[in-house]
Parts: sequence; C-alpha cells; structure tokens
Amino acid sequence: MNQFTLEARHKSVLIGAVILGVLCLGLTFLFYDDELHSRFWSNYLHNTVFFTGIAFVSLFVLAAFTTAYAGWHTVFKRIWEAYAFFLIPGLVLFLVIIAGIWGHFHHLYHWTNEADVATDRIMLGKSGFLNKYWYTFGTIIIMGTWIFFANKLRSISVEEDLHGTTDYAFHRRIRRWSAAFLPIAGFTSAALIWQWVMSVDAHWYSTLFAWYATASWFVAAMALTIMTLIFLKSRGYYQNVTDEHLHDLGKYMFAFSVFWTYLWFSQYMLIWYGNNGEETIYFRTRLDEYRVLFFGNLLLNFATPFLVLMRNDTKRKFGTLVFASVICFFGHWWDFFLMIKPGVLHTTHEALAHGAEAAADAAHHGGFTAGFTIPGLLEVGTMLGFLGGFLWFALSRLEKAPLTPSNDPYIEESLHHHV
Amino acid sequence: MSAVVSPIREPLIQGGKSYHQITEDIVSPTEKTPSTAWVIAFIIAVTGLAFYVFCVAWTVWVGIGSWDLNRTIGWGWDITNFVWWVGIGHAGTLISAILLLFRQKWRTGVNRAAEAMTIFAVMCAGQFPLIHMGRLWLGFFIFPYPNTRGPLWVNFNSPLLWDVFAISTYFTVSLLFWYTGLVPDFATVRDRAKGLRRKIYNFVSFGWTGSAKHWQRWESLSLILAGLATPLVLSVHTIVSFDFATSVIPGWHTTIFPPYFVAGAIFSGFAMVQTLMLITRKILKLEQYITIGHIESMNKVILLTGTIVGVAYLTELFIAWYSGYIYEQFAFYNRVLGPYWWSYVGMMSCNVLSPQIFWWKKFRRSIFVTFVMSIFVNIGMWFERFVIIATTLARDYLPSSWSYYTPTWVEIGLFVGTLGLFFTLYLIFTRVAPVVAVAEIKAILKSAGDQYTGPNAHGHGHHVGHKKDIPAGGTVDIDDPETGQSTDH
Repeated sequence: MNQFTLEARHKSVLIGAVILGVLCLGLTFLFYDDELHSRFWSNYLHNTVFFTGIAFVSLFVLAAFTTAYAGWHTVFKRIWEAYAFFLIPGLVLFLVIIAGIWGHFHHLYHWTNEADVATDRIMLGKSGFLNKYWYTFGTIIIMGTWIFFANKLRSISVEEDLHGTTDYAFHRRIRRWSAAFLPIAGFTSAALIWQWVMSVDAHWYSTLFAWYATASWFVAAMALTIMTLIFLKSRGYYQNVTDEHLHDLGKYMFAFSVFWTYLWFSQYMLIWYGNNGEETIYFRTRLDEYRVLFFGNLLLNFATPFLVLMRNDTKRKFGTLVFASVICFFGHWWDFFLMIKPGVLHTTHEALAHGAEAAADAAHHGGFTAGFTIPGLLEVGTMLGFLGGFLWFALSRLEKAPLTPSNDPYIEESLHHHV
Repeated sequence: MSAVVSPIREPLIQGGKSYHQITEDIVSPTEKTPSTAWVIAFIIAVTGLAFYVFCVAWTVWVGIGSWDLNRTIGWGWDITNFVWWVGIGHAGTLISAILLLFRQKWRTGVNRAAEAMTIFAVMCAGQFPLIHMGRLWLGFFIFPYPNTRGPLWVNFNSPLLWDVFAISTYFTVSLLFWYTGLVPDFATVRDRAKGLRRKIYNFVSFGWTGSAKHWQRWESLSLILAGLATPLVLSVHTIVSFDFATSVIPGWHTTIFPPYFVAGAIFSGFAMVQTLMLITRKILKLEQYITIGHIESMNKVILLTGTIVGVAYLTELFIAWYSGYIYEQFAFYNRVLGPYWWSYVGMMSCNVLSPQIFWWKKFRRSIFVTFVMSIFVNIGMWFERFVIIATTLARDYLPSSWSYYTPTWVEIGLFVGTLGLFFTLYLIFTRVAPVVAVAEIKAILKSAGDQYTGPNAHGHGHHVGHKKDIPAGGTVDIDDPETGQSTDH
C-alpha cells in the first residue's frame, strides 16, 4: 500500500471538523464576544499562526535533514512534504488578518491604531517596523518564498520517483535548494514571529522570543507527525515505518521539549533577574491573571514529555507515544494561546475604555474573561476545525504521490533503519 | 547502526585498513622517539608555559594593578580569555555526546583528540577567574562550606558562583568520558608494550581484559556519560552567558545570550579542533583516519554555527533599535561605531562573513583554506567576547567615567602563556595516548572502511544497491566534477 487514498469516511470526519470550527468561530463572533470581536479575531490569529508554523517547521526539518546527510526519515518524508503545503492556505488565512489591518476590522495589534501610535513614544519609535506595510508585504513576500521552496523540494522529489537514476541528479538538486533554504528560513522566520506574535504586546521585546516560538512549533510538528504516522499505520499504510523510526521521532519530541524548556527558562530567568519594568510586565501579567495557563504550560510541555518519554521503551510503544504526542500538540497550542491572548485582551481593554484613567483601570482588570483566561470549548472547537482543515489539505497532498519515495539515495538506509 | 550504507556516503577510513593495520598506525606514535617537529613544538610550548608562570607570579607579586583595569572596566582581557577558552572547550563533548546521540559515524575519527582539547581548554579557562582574584592562595573561598570566617558564605545569587559549579561539573564529566574511552585503547597499548611501560599501561587501563562483560559495562557507562554530558554542553556556556545577561548593563542584558553563546562556543570549538587536527593528522600521518571528508563535515558545522551567530548578532542589533530603550540603542551604536569599532569589524568579518566561503565545496575540502579559516574564527570569537566586555564597560551610564582600555604586557603575556599551557598539554597527550579512538574506529570499519564502501570496495560490502547497475558497495559521487562545487549550496 504505497498509494494513499483518503477514505470517504475520514474525509467526512475532517470536513465535519472544519464545519465545527467554522461554527465555533461564528458562535464566538455573534454571541460570546466583546464589541471589537477580539475573542473571534484572537482565536483566528492564534490558530493561523500555530498551523502555519507547523507547516514551516516541516519544510525546515526536511531541508535541514537533507543538508545534514540524514537518511533515516526518507521512508516517510512525503508526510513533511505534504505538511509544508499548508503554507498556501496559511497565507490565505493571513491575508484575512492583513485585510483586517487595512480595513480596521480588528484590534489585534495596538500599533495599528494610528491615534495611539502618534501619542505613544515607544510605539512611535517602532513604527518603522510595526506598520501595515511591513506586515503585509513581509508576510506575503516571506511566505511566498517559503511556498516556493516547499514546491521545489516536493516537485523534485516526485520527479525523482519517476525519472531518478543512480547518478542521483535529482537528489543533488534537492540538496541545493535545501541548503539555500536554511539561512533564509533562519532570518525570515524571526522577522515574521516578531510581527505576528511578539508585536501583540507592542511595547514588550525579547531577543530570544523568535527562537522560543520556533522551538514550540517544532515540538508541535513532531507530535503531529507521530500521530499521523501511527494513524496511517493503523489503516495499513506505512508498514515500512517501524518502531525504529518512531523511536527517533520520539527522541526528537523529547529533545526539543527539553530544548523548549531551556529557552523558556533562559527567557524567564533573565527577565526575572534583570527586573526591568519594561520586560517583567510580560510575565507579571501572565503570573497574576493567567496563572493556570502559565503553570499549565510547564506541566504540559516540560513535565509530561520529560517524564513520559525519558525511558527507551515509551518511545517505541504506540500507547505512550500517542499520549505524549497529544499532550505536546495541545500543550504547544496552549503555549501560543498564552503568547497571544493577554496582549490582545490588554489592547482591547484599552481601546474600549474611554479616558486615561479608565485605561489604567482596564490594564489591571484581573478577573475572568471567557476565551482569554483559559481556552474554552469554543477555542477547542476552533482548534479542531483548523486541525481538520490542516489534515484534510495535507492528506489530499499525500494522495498525489506514492507514500514512500523511490530512487532516493538514502531509501535503502531508511528501510533498514535500526536505532 | 544500520549496516546498509547509502551509495552517496564517503568512506570514513581509507587505505583498505585491516584491524591490525589500524592498531599499528594509531598506537605506534606513542612508541617511537618523538620527531624533530614534535621536539621543536614542545620547546616553544613549554617556553610559553614558562612565560605564563612568570606573568602569574608578576600579577600575584605586584598585584592586579599590573593590569590596565580601571574603575569602570573591571573586566578586560582576563574574562575575555576565560570565555574564549571555555567556548573552545565545547567541541569535544559536543562531538562525543551529541554526535553520538545523532549517530554520526564521522565523530570516531576526531572525538578522542577533541575531548582532550576540551579538557585542556577548560583547564586554561579556569586559570583566569582564579588569577583575577589577586590573592590566588584564597581561591578555595569560592567553595561553599561551613567555615571559620564567621557567617561568610558564597553568594548563591551570583552567576559567577554558578559558573564554579557548571564548569567544575563539566570538567569532571568530560574527563570521565574521555578516560572511559581511553581504557580499552590503553589496554591495546599495554598489549604491545614490555617492562615498566607495560605495567603503567596495565594500571591505567584498570587491567582491562576485553571480556564481553567489560565491553558491556563500558558501553553502558559511555551511554550514561553521553546522556549526562549532553545537557552539560548547553549548561556551561549558558551559565557563562548569565554572567553578563543577568546584569542590567545595556548590551549585556539580553535574553538571546544563552543559546547564542552556546552556538558561538561550538563554532569556536570546532575551529580549534580544525587547527589541531590539520597539524596532528599531518605529523602523525593519520590522513586515512581523519580524512578530507571529516574536515568537510566540520567546516559545515562551522558554516552552520557561524550563520546562527550571525542571526543572533543581527537580532541583537534589531531588537536594540526596536526596544525603544535609549541606553540599549546607544550601547549598540557604540559597539558598531564607537572607539572600539575595529573590534566589531573584526568580529563580524571573521565570524559571520568569512565562514560563508564554506558554501563552496572546493573551499570546504581545501586544507589551506580550512587552516586559515580556523585561525580566523578563533580570532573572531576572541573579538566577540572583547566586544561584549570592553566596549560596553568603556561607555557606562556616567559619561564622566568613560575611558579606553588597552592591555598591559602582563595581560597579553597571560593570554599567550595559556596558549603555551594548552599546547604543552596537547603535545604530551599525543605522546602518551592514541590520538584516534582505536576501538571506536574498528567498530565502524565494516560500514565505513573504503574496502567495504566507496569506489575501491571489493564488492563484498554490506551496502545493498537498489539498482542493478551499481556494484555492491559502490559509491556514486554526486558532485559536479567540472566546478568541484558541492551539490548542497
């Protein structure tokens, strides 16, 4: 079974999930939102960033592994090729946010409010970067470049299946494009993360932030890859993907969960120790008003994968591996929730409050806000909708080529992979 | 490890070596009279070491006043050298532990010497904080223990104390790791030796007999130490970066420091490994074990980490502007265009721009270019620490205390002297221990020896060709023959 077909039953489940997501977004917008619809828009931004990031990391991993002469992943590399194509719907989703910035439909970013920027010295200083032109053209040009590379790596790989010979000319081309992508990815991903996520807290800054967010995407992408592979195996596909491959994927999920924690700690500890008001406000808000999210983040993304995946055998048993993957996937979605929501809520309160005193009050509102303080059912439903859409799109791409590539110079190594 | 080897992988051991030939090649340098080149090198190194001892004595006798430190520049060459040496001490354990976990077989050619280098570099690094104390004989005050000095405890809140723990732990685990690897090789040396030499090597190899049980325990211990060493590689330079980043000094207090210091450390460590390996392989005639392929792989690591460091430099510059914090903005303006602009230029050109030539395969595989580049990177990484330390301290919050720092002959002598210490230790190492891991090289012979894989393979290799038209074990060179350029740029 080297040719995947998405069964009608599964397709309807995925479409059902998308409908659920749209329904949740609609309900949020109509009934459970403030007058600026910030819950709706922040849910939309949160999931768009999260799933676009998974697609980006899939492309990045593919390029990095190829450049590093890795062979073991070759047997299932089509999964990552397929994931990377979600960059196209990702860009479309971002176009809606961009349209919102130009048309003032939403108040996700404080820096889009020209009146406030004019009177705010800090935001005025940043306006050379935080402006709608950079956001629009940065997103379109950079994501366009990523899509170009995703398309290159995929199309050469498919061509190699058909016409590959033992001079490995196709692999040579894949390697060139892969190596060229790495520095581009390194520089551009940071620029987009600053725009998309960090600028939600328009005053705040941290040099580590882009790497931190990328590590979060990375773990989520590994978790989703493991879950997809195990599902496909249960349907009779990918019988050549063995415990050995899953063990290695499990190691990546474990290692990068620890790496994520390392970055989390470095960022938190240095800001705590430096005790600069401009910086600590970020964590002060999260500790005071988002306590469940803050500690839950560490529980889900560090403690659980660390304890569950520490042993050798838990990375080889489907039960524990799927458990850890579900937690990590949800955990990093939760992490992005915590990166985005507090800033948006703060901006919303300031926009809704009238007069300086009310704004100061609003900044320290405390209390519970549905859809912000912790994710509610509508948020989970929206996430399932995006997940359904992601998988639907990726699995449809997976149908278009054989599951395991042929004529790749590493395919025999991968088929005989042994940890 | 897979016995199936892709046809595009280069063999890692050349010359159709047999197991016996491997032992002969690697162990014999420890058995012969040293060559003239070695003796000359050793004399130079020991002279450097003697100069080091002299400068330390001078510092202790005259006092820290013999350095050019002043009221705002409390750290100068001393801490620059400290961070530089600690950074260099990162490659060895990275190669042994992390590349082991990543199943990179090429590590076996260079891991032994790189680990030795790590240990010697950390020893050099440890000198500077001690000398900086001025009263060297009170160095034990850094350890927290119940003492007779009243309630005088070390400051647990200080990252400088965390450094003591991080570096001593790292040193201990690296030493154990290195020594564990040496045990079976010492036994190999012993088996060929006679008389007192035999007794000594028998003692240092713990009476190794090579029984199955010995190997089993040896492998378990190696894996445990690799697991312990992996977080340590990250922790050491992370904590060194905390020395700066926990402060509220503009240019130092930045959250990207921990991972960026680690990347920079790996970068400089690999550069030093290249410098040493290029000389060692030539003098000890180990070109068939430390091949051009090994050198190329290390150059790729240098290109990668150099570019990561470049991303970090630009991130710092950008966020300094973005922060809207005028002191941070000034600190970076001062770094690039202030009185020490030349050190910033040195850092950028040696660390970020020059390694970019390694995009070309021709340069990655050129011994000459690699050697020159390895020196460049070492200079560049020294400048990086100097830029961070001196340029920032020379322009603090009070313009009235702004100053300019230049080292005295004592400070320069201490730096040059630690090079003497380092090379003395390294040269002794090449005389007493096999500089390539004999047992580990033998373990990969059947999957990476050129009689089993690659163009010279006899066709009885373990490689499974998936097309009828490549002979079993054949290697396909997928590089462009005309330009000599790599397939991967």
